Amino acid sequence: MAKGWTKALEKVYGPLEQKKRYRRYKARVEGLPASHRTAVEALQRYSYYFGGGTAEGGLAMLEDLADLFEQAAADGTPVREIVGEDPIEFAEAFLRNYPQGNWIIRERDRLTNAIARAEREGTPDEGTSR
Amino acid sequence: MGKLVTEMLKGTLEGIVLAILSGRPAYGYEITTWLRDQGFSDIAEGTVYALLVRIEQRGFVDVEKVPSEKGPPRKVYSLNAAGQEYLEEFWRTWSFLAERLEQLHEGGR
Repeated sequence: MAKGWTKALEKVYGPLEQKKRYRRYKARVEGLPASHRTAVEALQRYSYYFGGGTAEGGLAMLEDLADLFEQAAADGTPVREIVGEDPIEFAEAFLRNYPQGNWIIRERDRLTNAIARAEREGTPDEGTSR
Repeated sequence: MGKLVTEMLKGTLEGIVLAILSGRPAYGYEITTWLRDQGFSDIAEGTVYALLVRIEQRGFVDVEKVPSEKGPPRKVYSLNAAGQEYLEEFWRTWSFLAERLEQLHEGGR
């Protein structure tokens, strides 16, 4: 019963609380200088490719991103010095810290399992490369 | 030097940052500035930040939020016991690697 209630409450308040956090994040991005805002929006867009792990993980990621760019803006650090010469490398190092989307997890499992299966299929005798 | 040092730093930056934090607590901007002053001029602040997020998640540092004059509160990182232990392992591994590379280097002359 209590568990059911908690679930029911989460259904009502969970997503609502998350919506609030997302709106707060959007407001913080709006408050950034144009260059930093452009960079954050591009990184957010790129994150969708990996994202979708959990709403909680996604929000934590966006909030950390806002922390980084707000602080950098306050310090007067230009975008290039935040992101570095290779934005892809930065984005992937950063995004690896958060839960990733089901599809990429599934594909990684699939690859790992396929290699394990291949391994069980045996070792070729020397010189039999047909 | 630029590109090669970036590549070589990838595997060692974590140890470098933990070593810096074993001296004294610091926040991201300080760490990046220190690294740049030491000649790692291409290091991106975001790269250091991503690394700090990771070592926090792995439980190697304690984090304290300190209000700052401008911008959001700064996260100040300090090395804890688990981080200290990991740092010792890092130095052991580093010694092994440095020794082997030195052997190769001497052999090549």
